[in-house]
Amino acid sequence: MNARTAPPLPPSRPSRTAASLWAIVVGGVVIAATVGLRIDWSELGDVPGDVLRYSTLMFADPNWERLPRALFEMWRSISMAWIGAILCVIVSIPLGMLAAGNVGPSWVRLPLRVVFAIIRAVPEVIIALLLLTVTGLTPFTGALALGIAGIGTQGKWVYETIESAQEGASEAVRAAGGSTAEVARWALWPAVAPALMSFALYRFEINIRTSAVLGLVGAGGVGSMLANYTNFREWDTVGMLLIVVVVVTMIMDAISGAIRRRITGGPRITEKRSRHVVGIR
Amino acid sequence: MSTRLIGASADSVEAATAPLRALDLPPRPRNRARNGLAIAAFALFTIATCVPAIGGIEVDLGALVRNWSNGSGLLVQLIQPDFSFLPRTLEPILETLQMALVGAAAAALVSVPLTLWAAAPTNPNGVTRHAVRTVINVLRAVPDLVYATVLVAMIGVGALPGLVTLFLFNVGVVVKLVSEAIDSGDHAYMEAGRAAGGSQLQINRATALPQSWPLFANQWLYALELNVRISAILGIVGAGGIGRLLDERRAFYAYDDVAIIVLEILVVVVLIELVSTTLRRRLV
Amino acid sequence: MRSAPQRPEAEVTPSASGSWSIRLDDVSVTYPNGTTALRNVSLDIAPGEMVSIVGLSGSGKSTLIRTINGLVPVTSGTVAVGPHTVNGMRGRRLRSLRGHIGMIFQGFNLADRTDVYRNVLVGRFAHTPIYRSLLGITTAHDRELALRSLDSVGILDKVWTRAGQLSGGQKQRVAIARALTQEPSVMLADEPVASLDPPTAHAVMNDLRRVNAEKGLTVLVNIHLMDLARMYTTRMIGLRDGRLVYDGPAAEAAESDFEQIYGRPIQPDDRLGS
Ligand SMILES: Nc1ncnc2c1ncn2[C@@H]1O[C@H](COP(=O)(O)OP(=O)(O)OP(=O)(O)O)[C@@H](O)[C@H]1O
Ligand SMILES: [Mg+2]
Repeated sequence: MNARTAPPLPPSRPSRTAASLWAIVVGGVVIAATVGLRIDWSELGDVPGDVLRYSTLMFADPNWERLPRALFEMWRSISMAWIGAILCVIVSIPLGMLAAGNVGPSWVRLPLRVVFAIIRAVPEVIIALLLLTVTGLTPFTGALALGIAGIGTQGKWVYETIESAQEGASEAVRAAGGSTAEVARWALWPAVAPALMSFALYRFEINIRTSAVLGLVGAGGVGSMLANYTNFREWDTVGMLLIVVVVVTMIMDAISGAIRRRITGGPRITEKRSRHVVGIR
Repeated sequence: MSTRLIGASADSVEAATAPLRALDLPPRPRNRARNGLAIAAFALFTIATCVPAIGGIEVDLGALVRNWSNGSGLLVQLIQPDFSFLPRTLEPILETLQMALVGAAAAALVSVPLTLWAAAPTNPNGVTRHAVRTVINVLRAVPDLVYATVLVAMIGVGALPGLVTLFLFNVGVVVKLVSEAIDSGDHAYMEAGRAAGGSQLQINRATALPQSWPLFANQWLYALELNVRISAILGIVGAGGIGRLLDERRAFYAYDDVAIIVLEILVVVVLIELVSTTLRRRLV
Repeated sequence: MRSAPQRPEAEVTPSASGSWSIRLDDVSVTYPNGTTALRNVSLDIAPGEMVSIVGLSGSGKSTLIRTINGLVPVTSGTVAVGPHTVNGMRGRRLRSLRGHIGMIFQGFNLADRTDVYRNVLVGRFAHTPIYRSLLGITTAHDRELALRSLDSVGILDKVWTRAGQLSGGQKQRVAIARALTQEPSVMLADEPVASLDPPTAHAVMNDLRRVNAEKGLTVLVNIHLMDLARMYTTRMIGLRDGRLVYDGPAAEAAESDFEQIYGRPIQPDDRLGS
């Protein structure tokens, strides 16, 4: 290499046509979908104004007189969520265990997984709705519906957790001469229990939201109250109800989340990670 | 941590080789009280959820059995779908898909600046960061159909309130999940930008954004999957899509038609998930 | 492998806008969590010097180097670089000062998912209006600087490769190119070879020495390996527990000096070897 004064020649830039084409295709599909929607787009401009106006109606002076009733109904929704979560967990843990590789025989495992997949694919609300028509619309049947509708996801979490926990510890117990039951008790259970409990709580958090939705279709609880007062157009009560839903849901999330972290991670480590890692050893 | 482990094993070796010395056992931690409390709290909570007087639910198995004998016929219908109903479902299911896609796309656009705003490495200003996070958390605490119910009352029946619901819901999901992922990631490259005299905006645009792009794409696809499920039920409260038809047939106890709709939703959801999984695998 | 091609010094390579001195006067740094990392350090480095900082892990080397471009604010004392006083500077002025100070990191600090080219252009941040960075528009001058810097460390052929796909040594050279693209007046390097294998470590140290020799750039480099410090730098500064305990010619630093800096006997780990 001799001295040179001309600018260095970089290798030519790799082509980006494929990426651009994809971007155009995706953009085209989205635009087509937008145009195809039967929406009067001129209304879109009114939406922020409408939302603002109704929000003022709802939140400027919420109707706190109905707060006791709202809390009563909220507790009913939480109860549905809780009982539903317990039912769901009670059913999905044994089923999920059977569906885990190496635990159940394959003629049990595969059908179970297909059932889980089907339940998962159908939105929970629809499953619950269908069950509710059959069993009648009460908070208890609502809880039942929540329990069944959640089995698909919960069962999958159970077998995935068990499968991911199997290797080391089970082998150790087996090597020490343990039976299958002993493996389950002393290797599997300690390994998966925290995760399963944490998933159970997570199910509860999900159910709190779904139970409010079931209320909208008449299963009782805060959702029903909200649907009623929205129909009456009693906006100050709707506003109060929304505040109750948001605040209570966030509190429940926070409590449940804190417990979950305790279960899975032990006490939280607050010490900051050291930024510079390598040094003289 | 590791040194303590080494120390512990050395001790036990010593204990094993010197069996005559009295073992100096550290006191065993007692968890009984704590576990007892936890079990008691669990039991109390469960009991409280079953007391109708304070809002808990009434466990009434008798009513369940009575209703079941009435309703079981419907379940039999459910496993005998009426395929002649299929053509009527095509337009609503298409609307459902369109709403899902448009909602996800709009939310994707808005989520980028909001996410960078809500993550600590990309927004060192604690005040604005917490403001965005609080709004997002409030947004997420409202169930999707509750939004839709209120929005339908505000702006009328149709696809528009459904679209707004999906949009709000997606923004909540994407911003929350991606900003948390950015928070927990490693951001050494940002320090280089800072050392070179870059402003936060420049660093975000030139490095943080390309670096977080797979996180975004992942959550956008996830939002799309969620949307297909949600938009299938939005119609129940009048916010467009296949849900309205489903609710109508259900109200007429036409469970053979309902079966078709559910089947269709199932197929569409599975298809979208397949597409999304394929795309996700291509993101590196 | 770096048979440093002789080049006319003209505007061929990105040239420094003049080399700067560095002056620390009675500098102490206490982190918000109460750790005191530097205690009353005073230091004077002339333009064009090549200085190494040695010390045990946690002795404050990184802290010292980071005070110079204001990444770590000093608790007391003053830091001056060239004609500027660093402490007290904020916002736009601090950023434009940083634009004149190149920095290299132990962990390379590249954006792994972005190509080498864009990574190197990060070095032009301080000289680019924000709207340009937002739109991703670069000037011909910036592009030219970036490519020349890459060329001068010998990895121009990797310009379109994602940074994540490079080897450690290549990454560190990209990082050096990024710093060179700033056309800096001072170059800081925080353990630039600690994550590299011995031959690559020598290559990277050679690159740094060349930057110092060819452009007359002031170079300040943290090393914890005594043989590298002796071999590549002219002056050595020893830190122990945040205090400056040694300052003298690097080549003359004896084992006993290192033992005094480290506060313990020399161990095989303290040398790179090979
Ligand atoms: N961001 C920070 N917050 C609090 N304390 C810090 C921070 N960074 C460093 N320290 C502390 O300051 C002291 C000096 O750290 P510094 O990183 O300067 O050491 P170093 O000599 O570079 O070590 P190494 O060789 O490990 O990189 C250490 O005790 C360290 O724990
Ligand atoms: Mg360091």
